[in-house]
Amino acid sequence: MSSIAAPEAADVQAVTEQVWSSFLGDEEPLIPRFMEPGHPFDAEEVWSSAISIGGGWSGTVTVELSANLALELTRVMLALEAGDPISDEDLADAVGELVNMVGGNIKSLMPGPSVLTLPIVAAGRAAHASDAIEVARLDAVWAGEPVRVSVHTRASE
Amino acid sequence: MKIIVADDSRVMRQIVVRTLRQAGFTGHDVLEAENGKQCLDMVLAEQPGLVLSDWNMPEMNGIDCLQSLRAAGSQVPFGFVTSEGSDDMRARAASAGALFLIAKPFSAETFQEHLGGIL
Repeated sequence: MSSIAAPEAADVQAVTEQVWSSFLGDEEPLIPRFMEPGHPFDAEEVWSSAISIGGGWSGTVTVELSANLALELTRVMLALEAGDPISDEDLADAVGELVNMVGGNIKSLMPGPSVLTLPIVAAGRAAHASDAIEVARLDAVWAGEPVRVSVHTRASE
Repeated sequence: MKIIVADDSRVMRQIVVRTLRQAGFTGHDVLEAENGKQCLDMVLAEQPGLVLSDWNMPEMNGIDCLQSLRAAGSQVPFGFVTSEGSDDMRARAASAGALFLIAKPFSAETFQEHLGGIL
């Protein structure tokens, strides 16, 4: 596997689509959408998760998704029926595993060896450090619900 | 056969167990561990026929668990199911004695390919 200098939007899209179709199926496609750079994620209720890569290449991979999408993702990953209760703990687990898979696959594209942190999950939009530079981003919609995957590096690195 | 599935994510443990079933590996006794330390203790106590382990876990990660098992004399068949499939990690897994490394996301076919000779 050859490594690349920095992940590009196409890499983020390919990795995200692979993870997405494996666990959520192909019946409902993940549809990319254009958003202006710097435009904040636009769902009203948001869950976000982040994971960091450090070593041969350093950066942070962040997933933001609407609360409705987070619930549906959790339902599908846990094979729950419609109407089954979903705890915040299960939701955080599913959203964390999503960024873990996307982050792990991005890490595999980058020069190594590197270490992947455990995912951090929160209710609300992701905030980035003031010197964080967005190097790649995917904005998409799944079943009418928005999701964003972004990759940041630090200006000092 | 007893199979230990080690992953700090309950969601992922459930997906691994479901994928085993979808791959046709039914009738096995599946035990779940939440981290490498729990997996280590469980292997030594339960003597399973296979371990499917995540790499990146709190308390003790998967590679440390495998190395501790081998140091303790356990030769249990051990495979990784992890989000990271870099050449470096595959080499580290193999040199520590892992049989395979399945990268997430995976399919039932991937499980059949790697586990067909074991289960």
